[in-house]
Amino acid sequence: MIGNDVIDIQQSRQESNWQRKGFLEKLFTAEEQFFIQQDPNPEIMVWVFWSMKEAAYKIYNRETKRREYIPKKLICKIAFIDNNCIRGQVSCGENNYHTKTAISDDSIHTIAVSCFSNLNNVFEIDKTEIFKDQYGIPYLSNGGKPTKDVSVSNHGRFEKIVTII
Amino acid sequence: MNKEELIAKLKVIIRPYTANNEAYDNLTENTDFIKDLEINSANLVDIVLDIEENFDVVIDNTDMERMLDVKTAIEIIETKLAAK
Repeated sequence: MIGNDVIDIQQSRQESNWQRKGFLEKLFTAEEQFFIQQDPNPEIMVWVFWSMKEAAYKIYNRETKRREYIPKKLICKIAFIDNNCIRGQVSCGENNYHTKTAISDDSIHTIAVSCFSNLNNVFEIDKTEIFKDQYGIPYLSNGGKPTKDVSVSNHGRFEKIVTII
Repeated sequence: MNKEELIAKLKVIIRPYTANNEAYDNLTENTDFIKDLEINSANLVDIVLDIEENFDVVIDNTDMERMLDVKTAIEIIETKLAAK
């Protein structure tokens, strides 16, 4: 299964004040907060963790059909950091998701998969016919019939549509 | 504070985070923060923090998890105010 989340950094500065009292405490685990505070660029780490949680939540929602606001139950772990790419894991109860986050000057983009071997098989596709089921979960479609899992993320100037190929 | 007053106060709080003005103008108890008002999920926490500040209550994680629509938000605020 697939999930993804893009953040327009410029837009996030207009919409959110991550330094406001209580913000980090309500969204991030103690370990994530520690990681954010240790980072030379805490703002970027805030949105890296957030996009990891959002991308993983999209799979969780697809699997369970549950709608919940559970950022602190989506626990992020960083596996390694290589230049502008971060590989990690997000766990939620017994569910585990694998993530890859690309950081650029103006955006942060995380893809998440439930099966590790699919992490390198995720591709961006152009805007196309999308079918949404009763839970709002998107699929690629052909003539109104769902054919394949797809994940759509919009923020500010960016839209990312990804699927496993 | 009665329910109408609670909703009116909540409506002021969610205004700055709302993307869909038509849904905002037609807000009812059944309005969903994300599906209808198109509030960014990263801003739901701001609504929770603003509720805490404006109503002088504490919203724990279990309550925050359910706070996706006007009805649930009102129910949580009412419970917190009654417990004061």
